[in-house]
Amino acid sequence: MYRYDHIDQTLVDQRVAQFQDQVARRLNGTLAEEEFRPLRLQNGLYHQRHAYMLRVAIPYGLFNSKQLRALAYISEKYDRGYGHFTTRQNIQYNWVTLEDTPDILADLAKVEMHAIQTSGNCIRNITSDAFAGVAGDEYVDTRPICELLRQWSTLHPEFAHLPRKFKFAVNGAKEDRTVLLCHDVGIELKKNAQGKLIADIYAGGGMGRTPILGSLIKQDLPWQLLPGYLTALLRVYNRFGRRDNLYKARIKILVKALSPEEFARQVEGEWLYNKDGDDNFTQAEWDRVAKHFTKPAYKSLPALTIEQITNQASDTEKSAFARWLERNVKPHQVPGYASVILSLKPHGTVAPGDATTAQMNAIADLADQYSFGELRATHEQNLVLADVEQAKLYELWQEAKKQKVALPNVGLLTDIIACPGGDFCSLANAKSLPIAKAIQERFDDLDYLFDLGDISLNISGCINSCGHHHVGNIGVLGVDKDGEEWYQITLGGEQGNNAAIGKVIGPSFYADEIPDVITNIINTYVKERTEDESFIASYRRLGVIPFKEAAYKNKKEHAKKSNAVEATGDAS
Amino acid sequence: MSQAQSNSNTIAAHEQILRFPKGQKPSFGPNEWLIWSGSQDEGGLPDLKHGKSKVLVPFAWWVQHHYEIDVQAKTKSGHIGVWFAADDDILKHADVIEQGKSIWPLVAAHFPIFRDGRSFSTAALLRDRFQWTGEIRAIGDVLIDQLLQGARVGFDSFALRPDQDLDVALRQFDLFSVTTQNSWRGKRSLLATI
Ligand code: HEM
Ligand code: SF4
Repeated sequence: MYRYDHIDQTLVDQRVAQFQDQVARRLNGTLAEEEFRPLRLQNGLYHQRHAYMLRVAIPYGLFNSKQLRALAYISEKYDRGYGHFTTRQNIQYNWVTLEDTPDILADLAKVEMHAIQTSGNCIRNITSDAFAGVAGDEYVDTRPICELLRQWSTLHPEFAHLPRKFKFAVNGAKEDRTVLLCHDVGIELKKNAQGKLIADIYAGGGMGRTPILGSLIKQDLPWQLLPGYLTALLRVYNRFGRRDNLYKARIKILVKALSPEEFARQVEGEWLYNKDGDDNFTQAEWDRVAKHFTKPAYKSLPALTIEQITNQASDTEKSAFARWLERNVKPHQVPGYASVILSLKPHGTVAPGDATTAQMNAIADLADQYSFGELRATHEQNLVLADVEQAKLYELWQEAKKQKVALPNVGLLTDIIACPGGDFCSLANAKSLPIAKAIQERFDDLDYLFDLGDISLNISGCINSCGHHHVGNIGVLGVDKDGEEWYQITLGGEQGNNAAIGKVIGPSFYADEIPDVITNIINTYVKERTEDESFIASYRRLGVIPFKEAAYKNKKEHAKKSNAVEATGDAS
Repeated sequence: MSQAQSNSNTIAAHEQILRFPKGQKPSFGPNEWLIWSGSQDEGGLPDLKHGKSKVLVPFAWWVQHHYEIDVQAKTKSGHIGVWFAADDDILKHADVIEQGKSIWPLVAAHFPIFRDGRSFSTAALLRDRFQWTGEIRAIGDVLIDQLLQGARVGFDSFALRPDQDLDVALRQFDLFSVTTQNSWRGKRSLLATI
């Protein structure tokens, strides 16, 4: 894993000092809140509904046990004993104070961490595949490029005040686990026929109120030229992105307004002038960074069959263990090893992605014991131990169960992505967390969930789409109608190689209707599916109508019920 | 007293200009330039009754009026420079800017509000693409916490907003001793040390 050299460390330390001074000026009143706001956002500090929230970067999702212990310490010392892992491979603390923030950042700097550009209208934390470097289906390990881009984008002076936030994702595997096309810029790494590392660039994707999938604007760009090309791209966006309307300020609107072809042409025109400049990455930089991403000291082990692994468990535990193996354990490049997903979505969970101080410390121990002390944060708000010996999976499973992070629901209906919603977020139209909980309670039967197979269900508390409802097979979106909380359902969204934006099925529902609505949609699938057909495949084959009819089956009764309540005058 | 209070026809600026020429130390100097907003005085240059002898005119106005006799005379004596609005597409006027290189002692780029970063790109383009070697001044809503970014993209003088504390401003340039990307002032630390 990447280790800071004196440049990185100096930069982060000096950034802490800079922010200390900014906070001091805010507190003594010489810096107005309106002017402080973008500064604190560029240090990941939001003002939420009840308190300040600090978002800490986990660059491309990779961190180590020492860092996780530091995160645990922060959650205990400065927060309320937990942290929240987000879809963009960050961790958030919901209850920090402004006064404490410089100290938190100083504590983070001690373990080579920071909150730089985790928010604000700048280049955000760069995300990638949580399985980079170990995934069975990987063709390029994305981590060195991600690290080079992290450095290039950190405190980039020209792009410190863009029209809007700017998110990069980098993919290098056959299966896209990064939602590449929903990013402002998606970088697809590959090797050409000569074995040289090249990149395809997608631009103009994003969710929010105008969800758009990114368009391919550049093919086969040699990796060295990325900084110059991306500078050109961002320069076009910085100069011509809309600033008159917050909702139209993302690059997706510019790309759409110009057309991807015209946008690409303008970038190309700009790039002509710095193509050969010394912005380009050098081999020396690559070597400096890439040496940190060599393989850990793998033992030479025999590859075990599923049966051999399953047999590690006693007879009574076998079927439960097998389930976990099937859902939460992923194939590895190296024989005798596997990657393990620790589910942060136990049923009845307070919030998907939450981990308590005790869990964080315990998971750090597990990383030390089973996975070379390294961890990854996933886009689905779970954690990964990437390098586990197959022979130790049973042992690890038992330990993980003690920490309540062994639920075998990865990729299933209850592996819900959800934003903090109305419980924390001041932008929310409705709550997300109680909806996630109610759905998990309704679908608590693991056998049934297993039988349903892969289904993604994503919940956002408002149209900003932090919970990625647009790309959930089933999406739930909080909407506001006359001051009341309602929920709109989308169907047919998908992330991955067949990324698609879901479609709204019709009028919205009350919170208490949602579990029934989901049940009816799921029942329709179960009734109509052919053998081995996934939910999304059934939906594609059948179209929206049967699902829609099922979803609204009970709607009228509900309306009658609420009329009846009104008629009796019992309006409480 | 800020110019904004005394005359709505100008863009407010601190009485002291923070200068930070490349390779030198930052320092303060008197502000000799009036920044004319161009919003009134239709067609003609403003009279310089504020003790200033030089005027920065809007670039768009220059494009329209630079051939007029009084403008030419004033330009010859080195008393006219231009400022670029955040939405001026300077690449569309490359020829005008090329000519300007030899006649404007000063150009400026305007920040309508501190969090509008377009003028960062304007300065970067003037340096990278036009090879502008003269002074480039940041004007408008120029606040302490954007000085460092401005200095790195190509600004070497700053007309801070009148309420900004000069001592705090001066300290900004020492905050960082390393960088991880190139800028107008120098290469990223890693390349600089190779
Ligand atoms: C204080 C809480 C939060 C606030 C105020 C907030 C604010 C926003 C806003 C305003 C947008 C819309 C951006 C746009 O379309 O222009 C957005 C989108 C997004 N946020 Fe958040 N957010 C919060 C928490 C989170 C959390 C917890 C996550 C991850 C779990 C997250 C991840 C995202 C993602 C992935 C998007 C949309 C994707 C895109 O179009 O780029 N946010 N957020
Ligand atoms: S989707 Fe809306 S409610 Fe949820 S975190 Fe984002 S801004 Fe807040």
